[in-house]
Amino acid sequence: MIFLKRQLPLAITFVMGVAFALQYYIPHPVSEAAITKVSDWMKIISGFALVLGIASVFHVHAVKIRRQAPGWGYSGVLFAAIVTTMAVGFWSGGESKADGSQTAFGWLYDYTMVPLQGTMFSILAFFIASAAYRAFRARSPEASVLLVSAVVVMMGRVPLGQTLLPGMQISIGQFLFKIPGAWDITQWLMNVLNSAVRRAILIGVSMGSVALSLKIILGKERSYLGGGKDQ
Amino acid sequence: MPEQLIPTSVVLGAWVATGLTLFIYSFLYKDNPLFKLGEHLYVGVSIGYSVVLVWYTVFFRLLWEPLKKGIAEHPAALGTYEPVIPALLGLLILTQFFPRVSWLSRIAFAFIVGFGSGVAIPRTVSSYILKQIEDTVNPLITMGANGLSMGFDLASPQSGINTIILLIGVVSVLFYFFFSVEHSGPGMVAARTGIYFLMIAFGAAFGYTVMSRMSLLIGRFRDLITFAGAEYGYATPVLLLVTVLSLAGWELAARRKGGEE
Amino acid sequence: MKGLLKDLARRMIAIDRRIIFLLIACATLLPLLNPFGLPIKVSPEVQAVYEYIEAMPERSVFLLSFDFDPSSKPELEPQAVALLRHAFRKNLRVIVMTHWITGTGLADGVVTQVAAETGKTRGKDYVFLGWAPGGYALIISMGQDLYKAFPSDYSKTPTLGMPVLEGVRNLRDVNYMVSLAAGGAGIEMWYVFGKDKYRFEMAGGATGVIAPGLYPFLRSGQINGLIGGLQGAAEYETLIGRKGMAVAGMDAQSATHFVIIVLVVLCNVFYFALRGDKGKRV
Repeated sequence: MIFLKRQLPLAITFVMGVAFALQYYIPHPVSEAAITKVSDWMKIISGFALVLGIASVFHVHAVKIRRQAPGWGYSGVLFAAIVTTMAVGFWSGGESKADGSQTAFGWLYDYTMVPLQGTMFSILAFFIASAAYRAFRARSPEASVLLVSAVVVMMGRVPLGQTLLPGMQISIGQFLFKIPGAWDITQWLMNVLNSAVRRAILIGVSMGSVALSLKIILGKERSYLGGGKDQ
Repeated sequence: MPEQLIPTSVVLGAWVATGLTLFIYSFLYKDNPLFKLGEHLYVGVSIGYSVVLVWYTVFFRLLWEPLKKGIAEHPAALGTYEPVIPALLGLLILTQFFPRVSWLSRIAFAFIVGFGSGVAIPRTVSSYILKQIEDTVNPLITMGANGLSMGFDLASPQSGINTIILLIGVVSVLFYFFFSVEHSGPGMVAARTGIYFLMIAFGAAFGYTVMSRMSLLIGRFRDLITFAGAEYGYATPVLLLVTVLSLAGWELAARRKGGEE
Repeated sequence: MKGLLKDLARRMIAIDRRIIFLLIACATLLPLLNPFGLPIKVSPEVQAVYEYIEAMPERSVFLLSFDFDPSSKPELEPQAVALLRHAFRKNLRVIVMTHWITGTGLADGVVTQVAAETGKTRGKDYVFLGWAPGGYALIISMGQDLYKAFPSDYSKTPTLGMPVLEGVRNLRDVNYMVSLAAGGAGIEMWYVFGKDKYRFEMAGGATGVIAPGLYPFLRSGQINGLIGGLQGAAEYETLIGRKGMAVAGMDAQSATHFVIIVLVVLCNVFYFALRGDKGKRV
């Protein structure tokens, strides 16, 4: 039983990991067929994994309703929304459109989901402004650099900043000097300075993720197995 | 030319969309029942929508239809029943809900994680590490029609001077995150340089985030302006008034209850 | 006098945040109602995407992946509309799909709307494959065999034999690909699991939040262009000569940025005015 609960999953991880790491370097038709087949399977398995996530949300709110915890009425609203959307969806055959016209499912998506999701994230605009006002202070040289960089990018990425600070060319004798505008500085900042930092972070994080993947394949990292004393 | 009438379903949809938008925005005043209602509706509709799509895409399109077609055309062929394998693995994932047999889900997760880790390693090394290092060590001096030259044009990202700045930036930031070596002496200079590069990048990230969030707000306001028109029955001003009055009523009731207590 | 100024600074720093919310709301609303129409400057990274599509011969295969959901609609939908208008104008064969389940209806709506206004036919000039799960596994699956990855399109029509997909076996047969992404399951995933092995050219359209992180890929040539945020969409609309939602929103974008810059400057002015108060928390 211990073999089935512990050794078998680790063996599967090892075999799958090594096989598909090596597959990248083997252009043989059998190797290509293997990755085609398994990636098709992964699509189906991912669908079941989504069910897991959805069922977890169900469970949390079902417990809240059963215990009549504070705010359980809203959990009832959530359930009602899920059931209604599913009912409408199945009634419409999962289609947003039928014969060129919008189905009830499509209507629900366009007039409830799109505005709700859009508004939820757009509200952050107000909080970012409020946070910038309260917290964005040049307390140190580093904070000052951050502040100046943010202001330059905010100016350079909109037409107003590009118009107010367009840059100019000055000729002194036979020399021509170009004084960069907000747009030019922003482009340089993004393409050179920002790229340098992002590249360094990317290289560092990638090396870490490769190390983690190797640890998983070799069985040193087992947290994905879900814990328990027989891990 | 006669004005094209907007269908009733669209007008009704406009009212629903405007109402829900204003319910969410009411959070700007204070957390309140209208916002909570909108919030829970959002989660509920998203989940319901996802369930329907997963059902029709995964279970119908990827599982049921190929199986049905295969059994009809080649019932004896082993390949026909191949979709059963991922289906079984998927069902193993769902054993997580039954504590006595939840260990079976480890087999499915091992399959998924093993495959994912395996395919990621060579691709990550190639795309994120090798290609990025390759571009960092570009030649500074190039051979042109006029002989050897080095570019000093800051406006050109690929020029020699920018390559030097990029190299200094990448190395100093990588060094800053290397905590196994003490950041003292020349190391401290490198680490401090890295910090300043990081601050510039974070400032740029903040600027872009502001741009992004404001764009989202502009999009929602554009819809609210559209739905304020006569063709939509003045949905925005009417529902704005309803929302404000509801909030005022709720605030008064809450204060009265607080006063009594 | 100094005391009055410090008192003002103290009160301004503690101002109710709802006043700031109101300022932002006005800065957004007023330019939308009364636009002032400033010129849009085009960046080289957006120009690169435009020039690549412009140079593509008729009936070339263009893959557009809507890797976002309604939360990023205001930024990425204008990019999608502009790219589709350009692609249909060039008579390219357009394949549309999405990795984000909640973005499926949005993608279908956009491609149907733009196809209708340009007189394009589903199945012949374009196809919307819809959503399928798997993320990177889906890309690998498409790279090996497109018809196994998507046996039918979003409207349940079998993909095998579709005129728009003639000669397209897998991702190697795609001439150009653009991923419009709002997060992790997007441009980087398409490059790592797609372009790296299957060698199609690709570019990215990103929200402002993730765009800075994509500049290393742009520099190294892993993506040939990058359309960043609403500004990027406005630049692309300018290039195709058809101003739309993005250009219309840029005045409001300018105004809100200006307000935030003023707020940040004021905050620092008040902070430095009060910094002299020893022992007092600012």
